[in-house]
Amino acid sequence: MIEGHISRSFDGALVALHLRVIEMGGLVLEQVREAAAAYTEWDSAGALRVIEREQRVNAYDRSIDGDHMTLIARRQPMASDLRVIIAMSKAVAELERAGDEATKIARTVLGHGGRPGPATTRDARHLGRLAVSLLRLSLEALDRLEFALADEVIARDRDLDEEYSAGLRRLLTRAMEDPRHFDVALEAAFVLKSLERIGDHARNLGRHIQSIGYEAGVEEETARATAASPSG
Amino acid sequence: MDSTTIETNREAATSPDAGLNVKPSSRRSAPISSEALIQKGDVQTVGTVTVENPLFQCKNVDVYYGEKHAIKNVNIDIGREQVLAMIGPSGCGKSTFLRCLNRMNDTIPAARVTGSIVLDGQDIHDKKQDVVQLRARVGMVFQKPNPFPKSIYENVAYGPRIHGLAADRVELDEIVHTSLRRAGLWEEVKDRLSHPGTSLSGGQQQRLCIARTIAVNPEVILMDEPCSALDPIATARIEDLIDELRASYAIVIVTHSMQQAARVSQRTAYFHLGDLIEVGETDRIFTNPRHKLTEDYITGRFG
Repeated sequence: MIEGHISRSFDGALVALHLRVIEMGGLVLEQVREAAAAYTEWDSAGALRVIEREQRVNAYDRSIDGDHMTLIARRQPMASDLRVIIAMSKAVAELERAGDEATKIARTVLGHGGRPGPATTRDARHLGRLAVSLLRLSLEALDRLEFALADEVIARDRDLDEEYSAGLRRLLTRAMEDPRHFDVALEAAFVLKSLERIGDHARNLGRHIQSIGYEAGVEEETARATAASPSG
Repeated sequence: MDSTTIETNREAATSPDAGLNVKPSSRRSAPISSEALIQKGDVQTVGTVTVENPLFQCKNVDVYYGEKHAIKNVNIDIGREQVLAMIGPSGCGKSTFLRCLNRMNDTIPAARVTGSIVLDGQDIHDKKQDVVQLRARVGMVFQKPNPFPKSIYENVAYGPRIHGLAADRVELDEIVHTSLRRAGLWEEVKDRLSHPGTSLSGGQQQRLCIARTIAVNPEVILMDEPCSALDPIATARIEDLIDELRASYAIVIVTHSMQQAARVSQRTAYFHLGDLIEVGETDRIFTNPRHKLTEDYITGRFG
């Protein structure tokens, strides 16, 4: 889908861009995985690593942004090339935000709130696994530019949303039963929310991948708009 | 998928007798709905070929240069007050098709044009159609600026004079002035109207040719690669002019620059080996073309 241009250097530039986005995705996936683990294991060393690596995620974001602008300026991409480049640009933004959520989770571990109880930890671990697997799936879809996988990501994000609602409900119930540790519960709620948001970013990534594909129905719409009176 | 069926049609079309099953002479008479006509073609054009209130209606247009079948059953409407860009690789027939619209192919002895081309309800191949009159209504600007070897004033005044558009010198002055102003050239040449047209720069010469074309009050302006001999600044001027002129004229432009097509046109038609492959709104063609050939051409994947 990306290759096949007469200009092989354009092929090269597009493939390089794609690779860089996947690389960034791998880094963000690692961030999310480690942040979730740091929270559930209450591992401050892990949390610190996540916060330090955040700069690398941001560096990817900036440098890929530059690559995008160069490609657009130099190649004036059109049609599927244009759609790929725009989708990659949006994918990078999603990944960057998912990375931000991971950092937020890591900061919780280093904050003053205190370690969550076993029930909350269990919910966070479960939600963390779901978020990581969803993000991984979206990266596979991005890597192979496979629309069916992107569809699956979008469908599976609904499961994550439901698990989040259920987890949050349980958390609130516990907090009401034992309001002494309300601050811990509040931070736990933010962590669950972050994991849910990571799932949303994976879902959005899936949508951006879909946008690369041919948009059916566009011509039909324009035909209807222009052929109000078929005088032909 | 749409594109695969089209691919198969294409293969069928390359078989020896394909496309010749309809006698050219029979095509001009019977009125058939445009949809039926498109279906009958060798290659089914993707997209909307009709427009509301068309200026030109071209149906089943074939062009032969001797044995060579240069245009194969092309159906397309050309709208008023909009720019239609025709793109495609060299030899795809886009210039040939453009030249059908003001019967420039008449000047080529071996060329034979069949099918119907209707301008404002009137067949341009009708016996009563005066070709000189037609070419005044359908003006043309060429790749290389070709001013007459006369003064700037005379270049613009020539057309109105032979068509009797001005009663006296005052009216003629007025036409020359208006045309040069509309072509965006007036300020640059108002003090040297008696200088030869060829003394101007390339970009100015091209705008002089546009002024000469609009001086006879055409309905359509055909442009065959009008900027290919110009630098980017002169090109930008012409493109800006095209955008202004489309408020008053239909414009059909043939260009090898896809960026130019994307910049100046509202509709785009893609030709390939004499077939009209795809027509659509420019916004869509350059972001979401439907035919694989169009996609491959505009993304630079032609092998």
